[in-house]
Amino acid sequence: MEKVLTDFVKALRNSNVRVSPAETIDAVTVVNNVGYEDKELLKRTLSIVLPKTPDEKKKFEACFDDFFADEIKQQIPLDTNQLNDIGDIDSDLAKKLLEGSQGDLMLSIADAAEAAEIREIKYFTQRSVFTRRILEKMGVGKLEDELMQLGASREDELPSELEQELRNQLANLRERVSDYVQQQFLLHGDVSGEQLREQVFKSMNMAQIDRSYLHEVHSLVRKMAKKLANLHSRRKKNYKKGRLDIRKTIRDNWVNQGILFNLSWSYKKVDRPKIYVICDVSGSVGAYARFMLMFLFSLTEVVSKLRAFVFSSNLGEVTNDFKDSQLDEAIEKALQKHGGGSTDYGQALTDFVSLCLDDIDKKTTVVILGDARNNFGPEKANLMKTINERAKQVFWLNPEGKYRWDTGDSVMKTYSAYCTKVFPCGNIDQLERVISTLLKTAI
Amino acid sequence: MTDGPKKIIDDISNGFAEHGYICSEQIATAVYLASQLEKPILIEGPPGVGKTELANTAALYFQKEMIRLQCYEGLDESKALYEWRYGKQLLYTQILKEQMQEVLEGAKGLKESLDRLMKFEDIFFSEDFLETRPLLEALTSKTGAVLLIDEVDKSDEEFEALLLEILSEFQISIPELGVRKAEVKPLVMLTSNNSREIGDALKRRCLHLYIPFPEAKLERQIIQARVPEISEALQIQLVNFVQGIRQLDLKKLPAISETIDWAKTVILLNSEELDAKLAEDTLNVLLKHQQDIEIVKKEIPSLVSLATETSDGKSIN
Repeated sequence: MEKVLTDFVKALRNSNVRVSPAETIDAVTVVNNVGYEDKELLKRTLSIVLPKTPDEKKKFEACFDDFFADEIKQQIPLDTNQLNDIGDIDSDLAKKLLEGSQGDLMLSIADAAEAAEIREIKYFTQRSVFTRRILEKMGVGKLEDELMQLGASREDELPSELEQELRNQLANLRERVSDYVQQQFLLHGDVSGEQLREQVFKSMNMAQIDRSYLHEVHSLVRKMAKKLANLHSRRKKNYKKGRLDIRKTIRDNWVNQGILFNLSWSYKKVDRPKIYVICDVSGSVGAYARFMLMFLFSLTEVVSKLRAFVFSSNLGEVTNDFKDSQLDEAIEKALQKHGGGSTDYGQALTDFVSLCLDDIDKKTTVVILGDARNNFGPEKANLMKTINERAKQVFWLNPEGKYRWDTGDSVMKTYSAYCTKVFPCGNIDQLERVISTLLKTAI
Repeated sequence: MTDGPKKIIDDISNGFAEHGYICSEQIATAVYLASQLEKPILIEGPPGVGKTELANTAALYFQKEMIRLQCYEGLDESKALYEWRYGKQLLYTQILKEQMQEVLEGAKGLKESLDRLMKFEDIFFSEDFLETRPLLEALTSKTGAVLLIDEVDKSDEEFEALLLEILSEFQISIPELGVRKAEVKPLVMLTSNNSREIGDALKRRCLHLYIPFPEAKLERQIIQARVPEISEALQIQLVNFVQGIRQLDLKKLPAISETIDWAKTVILLNSEELDAKLAEDTLNVLLKHQQDIEIVKKEIPSLVSLATETSDGKSIN
């Protein structure tokens, strides 16, 4: 019976519930305790042991219902000696259906499934194909033909009881096989297609992701932002020694009869770094803007000391908007207020400098997201220089590929002279890598 | 085992009911598993659904001592595990100094004095000077205990790491004394309001119970148990009204504890039936944000009519 449980755990993992081996062992212990007889009890029990968040619980319930769906229907075996009486039926399947036990039937389904290479099932659209294939391997075709002939040869008479039974059994078998395929799909297939989709999204150019996937991409970006923040927010014991902590020193030195032998210092915590992100939302990066903002939004959720600015020509701060409202609303607001216009980096830099140059200090990291396409306007590179001198570091993330930099009205070269580092970041994978470096050096 | 698990779970359910805690089957199953597997339970759910109360009732039911550790930011081992009694230790050294004369009397040379000193029993670091804090106390309890670690999400991540040893091995390492193992494993319950994500390592070691807002039927039973003096018609109306409010988009949805408070308030006001005015006057018992009150105020007439219409024993769900 443990095989059933491990298979179920596999199905759970497939539908994105994280289950560790230790938890599987727990599950085995509890199942030994409560048994398989009571399905409701089993479900309640496992839902306490295996899934560990409300979200996972929902997935667990769906998965459990699917997996343990096929209740074995008890049937009364018929007296099948008169099988030959009803005409020309001599297919093996008919005998099996009428005579064989449930277990035998299950076994032959499994054999046929093996022959049909059920392990290869990947997508839920393939379910009907595999069901059909398994049924064929079991010889359903022949039986169907025979039944049809039987129906044709019989004129007005009612079908015999046995024939009726055979038809019922056949319908039953179809259901069984389709359940079986569903179960195998849970085991072997990519149930929600999520992993595949995530992979695709991650390596796809952000401009080419369709808007309708926005929601999914957001959850992906958010996951990533959270992971990054978790990784980097752990406060390192990066303390500076401060004053003598007299209370602690005395307490620590009771042991030495009150002679102050080991001194303890009160520590002064180093301030968290500040990150300023400036995001271009003008027409030229329109396709990227949503994703940039999405990322910015997710980052403000997880990094506390982050200020966000957006611009096309004039620059405005959106930190508070982001903190107060939901993602869609926040993005719409930002785009409405600042988006869509023609780009003017010179103006944006001027605004930024007048707005918060005084707040920029040696702990500040400035990140600029944009394509540096300036419509041949004034570049005001001297402002970049000022920012660079005051800040700890300046990063430029360009959504365009490197080969397109400095073509047309792009002035990447001018600005990159005053950046600590420049990165291309057209897809989410690149973005993740860049932000990881950034957080590593910023903290 | 003589009884089947089903029977024991029912027993737990009934036993809890006797102590005034009406629990769903899910909760009873979780308590059963925790006592069977000797594993801690991590209880999550919105505030006010009875997470802490569950631990209280479990202590009453199992007739064990209840030990509670409230978590907060900055909670560390000297407040959660143990601390040395510095004052006593200091006095001890003072006494020791006087005793030392006798011990060392007649000793010749440094070596002999040192030998005698070594033979002298040292109790500087011993149980006598150990001030136990909740976690250690729960482990050393002779009769077993119910340990409630309340609102783990409020503590720091470092503290979580501290809990790992206790929760998986039921032991604590005290550097000066060695490992202290639990004689009787306590029943441990951790609660969390999800103000931050609990680490995977901790989650892995716990059973996980999520308590949602109760369904109408369960909530009625709870009200009946907690506010027995309420009339049945009124009780149904109140519960339906609250269930209706939970469908709205509010900042903080009213939980069971608020429903109970509200029922008590209504009883205090001697009201026999729920009407719009009563609902409006007492809304601040149910809702804790001004914005929420504004939103619900608009909905009161429809909510009240819904609650009174369906009060013939049916729930609105």
